[in-house]
Amino acid sequence: MNNVPSQSPTNSEDTQRQRRGRRRWGLRRRILATFATGALFMAALLALTTYGLARSNVVQQREQTSIDTAKRNAQTVQASLRGPAATYQPALDALETYGVDQALIWYSGQWSPGSGRYVSTALPQGLVDRVIEDVVPARMIVQIGGEPHVIVGWPLANDAAYFEFFSLGEVADTLTSVRLSLIVAGTITIVLSVFAGILAARRAVRPVAEAARAAKSIAGGRLDTRLEPENDPDLGVLANSFNDMAAALEQRVERDARFASDVSHELRSPLMTLEASVEVIEGRRADMPERAQAAVDLLRSDVTRFRTLVEDLLEISRFDAGAVRLHLEELLVSQFVEQAIAVSSLPHTPLTSSARAQQMIITGDRRRLARVVANLIDNARIHGGSEARVSIEVPTHEGAAQQLVHIIVEDGGTGVPIDERHLVFERFARGGGAGRRSSNEGSGLGLALVAEHIRLHGGRVWVDDRRDGHSGAAFTIELPAEELEEA
Amino acid sequence: MPVGTRILSVEDDERIRQAVKLALEDEGWTVDEAGSGEEAIELFTRQPAEVVLIDIMLPGIDGFELCRTIRRTSDVPVVMVTARNDTHDIVAGLEAGADDYLTKPFAPKELSARIRALLRRTRPSSTPHARLALGDLELIPDEGKVTRSGEEIHLTKTEFRLLCELADNPGKVFSREALLDKVWGYDYFGDGRLVDVHVRRLRTKIEADPANPRHVVTVRGLGYRLQT
Repeated sequence: MNNVPSQSPTNSEDTQRQRRGRRRWGLRRRILATFATGALFMAALLALTTYGLARSNVVQQREQTSIDTAKRNAQTVQASLRGPAATYQPALDALETYGVDQALIWYSGQWSPGSGRYVSTALPQGLVDRVIEDVVPARMIVQIGGEPHVIVGWPLANDAAYFEFFSLGEVADTLTSVRLSLIVAGTITIVLSVFAGILAARRAVRPVAEAARAAKSIAGGRLDTRLEPENDPDLGVLANSFNDMAAALEQRVERDARFASDVSHELRSPLMTLEASVEVIEGRRADMPERAQAAVDLLRSDVTRFRTLVEDLLEISRFDAGAVRLHLEELLVSQFVEQAIAVSSLPHTPLTSSARAQQMIITGDRRRLARVVANLIDNARIHGGSEARVSIEVPTHEGAAQQLVHIIVEDGGTGVPIDERHLVFERFARGGGAGRRSSNEGSGLGLALVAEHIRLHGGRVWVDDRRDGHSGAAFTIELPAEELEEA
Repeated sequence: MPVGTRILSVEDDERIRQAVKLALEDEGWTVDEAGSGEEAIELFTRQPAEVVLIDIMLPGIDGFELCRTIRRTSDVPVVMVTARNDTHDIVAGLEAGADDYLTKPFAPKELSARIRALLRRTRPSSTPHARLALGDLELIPDEGKVTRSGEEIHLTKTEFRLLCELADNPGKVFSREALLDKVWGYDYFGDGRLVDVHVRRLRTKIEADPANPRHVVTVRGLGYRLQT
């Protein structure tokens, strides 16, 4: 129950903290705690009841036999006292023949001496009064020498009385072993129910765990993830509404992606006309007045830019729709990068690679990875002062499970400020205020596409400063690689 | 460059058709236009072109069907224009018999370069090969003829050129890149699917059992070779 009586309802922060505190007790733990507490309670109740019953039973039985024995012995004593003797001695002798020594006899105002602990002073006054004064048989449980005893007193004729001591030591022993076995049984019960609790908790939490897994999978981009339909009507509601939500989400994402794709698709036809027409005009550039030439140049460069934008937009919408399939093949990194640079916008970009890097093979989609290199070189051309250098390195991570290769593109621009480094891979994130807007060329999607392509290849890409101390950015692509086996 | 080579351009969007015609004529080609597949077939039977340019998305008879129809009677080089860089469209176009493809929007200069590469390889090879016999298969490069068990097999120009390149060095493994370069004139980043689909088509014509090729053999991870 949510008992926060002393707090005002407006103090929501505290309430929230309280709730958080409770939430830390997860469902599984709560089920377990319930099982454990229940088991503890039941075991204790059962043990106490059993013990109580056993105890009263055993003690009663012992008392009854004590009374019977004492009665029999008292009759023997009575018979002995009926004789000529005026002392209790013959009675004691008679008792001895039966092996009874834990007895006292009151006769003509005198106590028999008793033996050991069993002397007249050990008798409680109440019992003596009851038997001798009131002349009724009585019994009483007393501690003698730290051991419980039942003392049974029988009044006899001639103002005599017989008292016998019965040790309850055995009974106590019996009860101790009963107690022990109850404790053991109780402990076993609790342990078993904790196990049962763990199983029950796991069962109860399983659908929740599955839902969590499915949600995570959806968040990770696998929008077609669904929960298995449950037979249980309670859990069925969860599964059904989860699946409905997932379907709605998938539809929504697909619609958005399709829209972007449709838009760029529709733009292709007019672009085709533009492209061909500009080419025709360009062919007559030499015959044009100067102003028209300038206009044609502008037209040409913006048609190209427009085309890049549409192509990039289409490509990225394909990523969003999850429609990109890689055409994987093994590539020798150094050879591949060399070829990729040759077809890029700065084909004379210098390439250096370490001896080890030249032995590295990556598994990738050649044309997409070439696009990645081309985009990074475009970026260097546009934002990095048209200066680029590419190097291939093998990072030295001792004991790493997976070999890696780094393709690093460095430029001669102003670099990327630290707080913008994670932003440059966002869509349409043109190098912000730090003077990187040297030109409006580029689609604004180039680096976002780089990030998507590399992610699809199981790699990473990041940007930091040039390592030789000069101003400029260094874009690093990290890809899983393998070393070429020596033939 | 062969001035006046006839290109049949099949495209339903009139603006694109006009602009492409203007640009191609600037490059020195003679361009016939067709706005639909039906019109293209009629025009082609009346006056066969030397190259056909087909947009896949056509009303009525679509680009694939048009390509198959033309292929039934002619081995003329066909370039497909696809609207998207979609594997399905590209492979379907190549299987319908196209020799090469371009994705919209393309630069007409690039199209001209592709057409030139296609025509170059359909013209008689500059270094004629000797006759070559491979089991039941006989290759006669000078006549542009292939026979199986004495019977002539009809290959498109590109298929024939592909077979000739492989036969240039029987037993040697040719990578996809090498074949793209030699047959289509592409660089390192050409589309390997061009090679794969053409090899598949070639096999259906020259192999007794295309599923278990005995002549054009795939070498896993490396490319193709001609079994001697």
